[in-house]
Amino acid sequence: MSAVVVSEWVKLRSLRSTWWALGALAAVTIGVAAQVSSSVSFYGVPGVVSQDAMQDLGVYVVTVSTDFGALVVAVLGVLMIAGEYGTGTIRNSLTAVPTRLPVLGAKALVLACATFAVATAAFAVAVPVSTGLLAGNDVDVHLDDPHYWFAVLGGVTYLVLVALIAFGIGALVRSTTGGIAISLGLLLAAPVALSLLLGVDPPAWAENLAVLLPTVAGKLLFTYPAAQRWVDLSAPSVDGAWVGEPWHGALVLVGWVAALLAVAGLLLRRRDA
Amino acid sequence: MIVAQSLTKRYGATTAVDGVDFTVRPGVVTGFLGPNGAGKSTTMRMIVGLDHPSGGRVTVDGKPYARLGAPLHRVGALLDASAVHPRRSARNHLLAVAATHRIGARRVDEVIATVGLDAVARRHVDGYSLGMRQRLGLAGAMLGDPDTLILDEPVNGLDPDGVVWMRGLLRDLAAQGRTVLLSSHLMTEMALTADHVIILGRGRVVADAPMSDLVAGADADTVQVRTPQVATLTPLLWAEGATVTRTPPDLLSVAGLGAPRIAQVAAGAGIVVNELTPVTRSLEDAYLELTRDDVEYRSTGTRRIAREMPR
Repeated sequence: MSAVVVSEWVKLRSLRSTWWALGALAAVTIGVAAQVSSSVSFYGVPGVVSQDAMQDLGVYVVTVSTDFGALVVAVLGVLMIAGEYGTGTIRNSLTAVPTRLPVLGAKALVLACATFAVATAAFAVAVPVSTGLLAGNDVDVHLDDPHYWFAVLGGVTYLVLVALIAFGIGALVRSTTGGIAISLGLLLAAPVALSLLLGVDPPAWAENLAVLLPTVAGKLLFTYPAAQRWVDLSAPSVDGAWVGEPWHGALVLVGWVAALLAVAGLLLRRRDA
Repeated sequence: MIVAQSLTKRYGATTAVDGVDFTVRPGVVTGFLGPNGAGKSTTMRMIVGLDHPSGGRVTVDGKPYARLGAPLHRVGALLDASAVHPRRSARNHLLAVAATHRIGARRVDEVIATVGLDAVARRHVDGYSLGMRQRLGLAGAMLGDPDTLILDEPVNGLDPDGVVWMRGLLRDLAAQGRTVLLSSHLMTEMALTADHVIILGRGRVVADAPMSDLVAGADADTVQVRTPQVATLTPLLWAEGATVTRTPPDLLSVAGLGAPRIAQVAAGAGIVVNELTPVTRSLEDAYLELTRDDVEYRSTGTRRIAREMPR
């Protein structure tokens, strides 16, 4: 297994597209955090601004980039497996490892590690940049707050899990264009379509359904717990909602990954390559 | 040693490989021939476990490919030279394949040198010609120093030097006691390289014989005789029991009589012979004869096509 992991790492690092995607992830994470941090403040908000509100804003500005980052890692995830089908390289991979499943597992592991490493490094830059710029706008974010760091870690986790979801989709459809189209549809179009369908005051069952979407569930991972509920669908506002805590969101995403990879693994064993 | 038993592959209603049995033995180069769509490539893919048989089985050294453990040390396959990521260098491609079997960079550089790609190994594969890709594919097949090599059309796109080099390499590998299975459409090339031939037609084995048997069926041999005294020589050859076909003005095609006997007969009668050439049946002739009924895509006569052309 470890030999197959090394092989997949060699494959990933030897393509320039990998470095473009990972570079774009870092640039988006740092750039969006810097831009948004420099342009928000509580000026004009009446009354005393609570520390919770400042912490919440601090989390928001540093994690809002994940909307874009998710698209980048989704493309990387699809390319990693579907690109092999497009070029025929998969036949080399499967003749070298005829039991096949280790190839899928090693690719997923390498993808997850690469995404984790780059996302972590990018947040390590984005956090000080963001808090510094916010301080200039009189928003004083306390970094000794564990909830702040849980939310940042949640952003990293979200990116890793989205990459794996897209990877699973790529492994199922075995086509770069198809895989990217479905992944972006799931991440971008599905939540918009659902919110349009449900309207402004959706019933609890509809919220429970909506939170099964990766983007919606993902938001829970990096929402500050005392959020002012100013954001969106993901705010656990309705009584009777099943999903509200960050770990619920993580569980939903892990469920997607597990289901997609299980089916992908089954089909990889069965289908002719 | 590769053994196929009742090996079958169906795609929906089409049967690509229809219960074939054959054995590919070590120590010789075995040629795998057949028209397009005869099932050669499908059979090769089943040998290395890429396609699952619909029926029957195929083993390498007694085991299905997937159970070989470290398969690259047992079997090297070149199935599709273009199946490499175009934006990756040849060396990185080989390093990735080698890593699955903990084969180091030194062996990678060794096979790169063997196939003569040293100068370009760090360049992206999208700049490679088909011939260079074939060399890269062969390098990949040889990485694990396997005892069995399976090569689908490896001389396609090679330049004449490359063809000669590939022929020598494959013959050397077989001489070392390895099993070499090679498919090709180039009959003359195959005739020079292979010792044994398996011919597929419409998914079935239509011939499985040593090359010498195929090209030299004794009754198919003829001798070409050129003489100014055609009219004198012909009856003498008839008297010896030969079949003689005359091509004016001075050429005879003699079947059923060896060249030495023809020379004796002519000398005994004082007949001048300008040329005496034994003609063996070529592999191409044998192949065309055997697969006549099995060609899937046959070209129609040019005259008919011309008539159907819109004016």
